[in-house]
Amino acid sequence: MANEGRGDHEEPGSHNNRNNRRMARVVEWVVIALAVILAVLVVFFVREYLNLRREQILNAREASIDHVLKGHGPLTASDVDIIQPWMTFDYLNRIFVLPADYLQTALPVTDTHYPHLSITSYARDTNEASAAALTNVQTAIKNYFAQEGTGNSSSSATSPSNASLGFPTGAVQGSI
Amino acid sequence: MTGVTGSLLSFVLLYKYWALFVIVYLGAIIIPWPVNITLLAIGAFASQNYFSFWFSLTVAVVANTLGDLTDYAVTRYFGERVIHLLRLNKIRFFNHLQAELRSDAAVTVFMTRFAGSLSSITNFLAGLVAVPLKTFFIYDLIGNIIEPFSALFLGYLVGSYWNDFSNLLSLIGAIVAVVVLLFILLRMYRRIMKKYELV
Repeated sequence: MANEGRGDHEEPGSHNNRNNRRMARVVEWVVIALAVILAVLVVFFVREYLNLRREQILNAREASIDHVLKGHGPLTASDVDIIQPWMTFDYLNRIFVLPADYLQTALPVTDTHYPHLSITSYARDTNEASAAALTNVQTAIKNYFAQEGTGNSSSSATSPSNASLGFPTGAVQGSI
Repeated sequence: MTGVTGSLLSFVLLYKYWALFVIVYLGAIIIPWPVNITLLAIGAFASQNYFSFWFSLTVAVVANTLGDLTDYAVTRYFGERVIHLLRLNKIRFFNHLQAELRSDAAVTVFMTRFAGSLSSITNFLAGLVAVPLKTFFIYDLIGNIIEPFSALFLGYLVGSYWNDFSNLLSLIGAIVAVVVLLFILLRMYRRIMKKYELV
């Protein structure tokens, strides 16, 4: 190693050695600073974990497993709070297992890009605030489940619950 | 959810794997956007059958590796000019870092895959100090398989409620990044002390 060779020729007490000592001191201080940052991050991590537990998202092992299983099941009217403005109608149709043209008719959506259209874009098209558009979408989905009377429309052809790591199914597989 | 993350996720939902490729590739080059949160979300989309888990992982690994190789290639071929232009070779710390990467390329490249933006900096330095391409590629690839897999798998596990876990993942990412940085600095410190017998 060229640098190692160069280092081997340096005499103790030389100018280079003083610089290296200074470098080692700098590294020491950086390490101390990083250790403090690490401690702060760990405190934040514990707080976030406790928050999740408090909100009963990570309440106990059993609840956690329940939550995970629920996360893989078909979504229902009670899950509309997970809808975000960045979500597209195509995605919403899939996760709530809605008929493809239901939201287009119910809202209504005139943009020809539907269902490949985000709620944000829909809000822009209709000159609505994003939050108002989001509420409209949530209400429309709730109404759909109310009309169905089951609160769950898992009868449709493609249910998210049949997803599996090894064998992903459905039309979207492999589509780019 | 920040505006950037929301825009990235809309982009992902609209253009699927192409969007994933672009986001991960540019993130690997240098753009500090929330790639891990995006992967966490895509893992959740995979659990909803909206994405293919394994295809997403393949796209993420390929894009990440290509992004890292781009960084490496840029400094490998143009690095010497940049060093002389910016007089970086006059800075002693820079020389130490170069020496560390030369003698410890495998560990440094592998470990920094989990350290966010430090990964891009290491890629640039690796090209600069001419770390052998084979060494760089192998350790980069191994790290690049583990990192996106972890984020995608966590997203897959938590499913539709992935957003509740995004802060936790960000904190885990930050903690890992600091630990990796500490690990590298301590190795560097020990090497300096040992090499120049400063103990």
